[in-house]
Amino acid sequence: MSYITALYSILAVILTVVLCFIVSTLLPGIERKYVHARIQQRIGPPVTSPGIMAPIKFYFKENITPNSPLPNLYKALPIVCFIVVLIILIILTPQAYAIPSIASIIAIVGLLKVEEICYVLMGALSKSVMSLNMPFPDLVKGAAHLDSERSFIEDLSSKRALRLISYGSFPLYLAIFTPVAITGSIFLQDIVIYQQINGPFLFTLSGAIAAIVFFLGYMILLNEYPFAILKTKADVIEGPYMEYASKYRSIVFITRGFLMFTLGALFSVLFIGIPPNIFSWGILVNIIVALIFPVLMGIFSAFSPVFTNRQFYPVVIGASLLGILAIVVGLL
Amino acid sequence: MLEEKKPMETIETEIPMGTVHPAALEPYRVRFFVEDEIVKEAEITVGVNHRGIERIMEGLPVEKANALTEKICGICSNAHVWNSVRTAEMGLEISIPERASYIRIIMGELERLHSHFLYLAHGCEVLGHETFSMRVFYLREAIMDLLHMIGGNRVQYGCSIIGGVRPRCDLDQSKIEKLLNSLKSVEEGLSGFADRFTSDSILMSRIEGIGLIPQKQALKLEVTGPTLRATGVAKDLRTTMPEYENFDFNIITQEGGDVKSNLLMRVLEAFESIKIIRQAVDELPSGAVIDRSWKMVDCEPIHSYIEVPRGTLYHSYALEDGRIRGSIIRTPSMTNIGAMQYACIGDHITDAQLSIVQCDPCFTCTDRAVEIIRR
Amino acid sequence: MGIKSFSRQRAIHVMLVYTGGCNGCDIEIVNSVLSPKFDAEQYKVFLTWNPREADILVVTGPVTTFNKEPLKKIYEAIPEPKLVVAAGACALMGGVYKNIHGDIPSEEIEGPVENIIPVDAKVPGCSVRPQDVLAGVVASLPELLKKE
Repeated sequence: MSYITALYSILAVILTVVLCFIVSTLLPGIERKYVHARIQQRIGPPVTSPGIMAPIKFYFKENITPNSPLPNLYKALPIVCFIVVLIILIILTPQAYAIPSIASIIAIVGLLKVEEICYVLMGALSKSVMSLNMPFPDLVKGAAHLDSERSFIEDLSSKRALRLISYGSFPLYLAIFTPVAITGSIFLQDIVIYQQINGPFLFTLSGAIAAIVFFLGYMILLNEYPFAILKTKADVIEGPYMEYASKYRSIVFITRGFLMFTLGALFSVLFIGIPPNIFSWGILVNIIVALIFPVLMGIFSAFSPVFTNRQFYPVVIGASLLGILAIVVGLL
Repeated sequence: MLEEKKPMETIETEIPMGTVHPAALEPYRVRFFVEDEIVKEAEITVGVNHRGIERIMEGLPVEKANALTEKICGICSNAHVWNSVRTAEMGLEISIPERASYIRIIMGELERLHSHFLYLAHGCEVLGHETFSMRVFYLREAIMDLLHMIGGNRVQYGCSIIGGVRPRCDLDQSKIEKLLNSLKSVEEGLSGFADRFTSDSILMSRIEGIGLIPQKQALKLEVTGPTLRATGVAKDLRTTMPEYENFDFNIITQEGGDVKSNLLMRVLEAFESIKIIRQAVDELPSGAVIDRSWKMVDCEPIHSYIEVPRGTLYHSYALEDGRIRGSIIRTPSMTNIGAMQYACIGDHITDAQLSIVQCDPCFTCTDRAVEIIRR
Repeated sequence: MGIKSFSRQRAIHVMLVYTGGCNGCDIEIVNSVLSPKFDAEQYKVFLTWNPREADILVVTGPVTTFNKEPLKKIYEAIPEPKLVVAAGACALMGGVYKNIHGDIPSEEIEGPVENIIPVDAKVPGCSVRPQDVLAGVVASLPELLKKE
């Protein structure tokens, strides 16, 4: 009997992940076409182009060796990112709650940290043609500071990724720990059961504050436009992803949509109490949340310029204080 | 309030950008010397698109050379051909018909409008604000259509020739109506945009105090054009140009010399340009647009200065048998390079390209007088 | 039509390299992509600034001496299949700078673009109109779809 239950659970997880994956590929297109293009008064690309067709196209391109001191490690990093996001989504499914040691907040936070560290490594390992490798006679007679240390623009984004680890992701983690403060348990199962009995956290005071903080953290983690310091067009062009081509670039594209969905699912587990499960209607709530978040993010990013440290620090500090407030209110 | 910014002695890291970079629409190389993402010094290398215009101008027939000056720059093409023709007219002592002069001014001011709109759009794009950039580009399209209607092309319209303007650029009643209607909608769109732009507190906090150029430093670096006026110096060559004598317009100045005052400067100047075009259209004299009854004579080097969207443009050449000798062209961006390098200092590196863009660089204009030594 | 060519025609990434023209073409091309009036994205054309992402390289300008090596390097960085669209009179034949035939010829012009990298489509005009650029990119598409 237990054998059949396990099989049934595995099938449910696989089907859930596949459905979520299909929905997630649409998210970048929806953001681009229905939010950005609508605000900018133009028609915009087809919904399928940025999220689905572009990765398929890149998959069939020539597999070049990236300009990198460690090309194989550099190529492996997007796969690591993808697997991390996949594991987070699997943890969120109710079938995974049978293994309490994995299905906990600590595991999710740890995995998100892995994702952030990948950005640091990507930035440090990418040596693109667009800055220092551009063949231009820089070091000539009369040029300023011939003896200075020279660095690539990707090194900038690597440093910034390190900064994001140290303080930029505070809001997200504080928001994630608010349900823990309310329920007193780090296990997803307890959080979900508590909400099914007492109603979603989203409609309590501390939950509502934490939801706002979660949204800010979501934008910072996804590097969407006001917080896109990792890949600002004005200086680092595309930052850590500069050298990815063909299959690896398609994984980068897919991971972004998938991360959008997974964080949406995380929100619905932590604040609404509905885990993604293909065999219940609750998965519609997951999908709706995962759709609402990119739309809100798109509206926000279409109306704000990219932040530098002057704007970034106050926003992060304010969001972190709000997050602490949410936890304190939740504890009381 | 404004303190002197000094370049550093020791330099930690250099980050080169260019020659192809999304924040720069033109090929140039810039090396930023940074310390913890704060720019301590910047070095701009021009000459990347040096084509040797003055050299290939040598010995060309003057009409052909005038057509060539237009290809110096795709943004202020009319200004170049206007000034080049003006130089020849000063040397040959030709007085052009009144109507031609008015049409030249209409074209010049339309060009100023499109240049300033491009500046605003590009500035917003470098700021990372795609929506505003698109809105300005949308407004700019109306101006491009007007230029296309009068000049016959969207960018290189070759309006002025020696003795007046090309007959195809003459304005008839239907063109004037379309011009006035478009200007009205552009004015409304621009004032709406300006209101929205200045009331956006996130954007204002982003651009206030960035890329400071104090007035003293601007005068020392011989900055020209709107970039100088944004620091509070009311210097505009249009006030001394005989062509603009009959027109009533204000010289816009802004205090501060940062990105905010530069952006607002362009918005306010655009309104003044619209005002000048309206006056020119209202008082458009009748008569011929070209006087072909001039004779070619030899003349000594002639100097002509006019005010173009980016500042003071200088053309000079001598004529010998109807051919160009010793041509010298100095474009406003050439003198503004010092300001660009200076404006970056002390800002975050994300703002560094913005600080360069705020001086409205046009390196294609600038890259002529550089000599390449091959070894 | 296989999935390969189907996906290829639904997402076209264009990279613009300016090699020292008069700026007119660059602005018209950026304009064609950025302005809501032309909006290249509705034809599935996306502007990118990363050679590793690009499918089509749009080159403007007569290729001056300093721009020759960067252009080659960027061309090499683009993974196959790739196409080059030369836009504007300067990119096609060196433009007015190469062909004015004054007393002293210009020594800095290395162009036209064909001399440096292979060109697949040519868009004439001084300067090119945004509509023409889009038409040129679309006209070169069958080549891209056929490639491996």
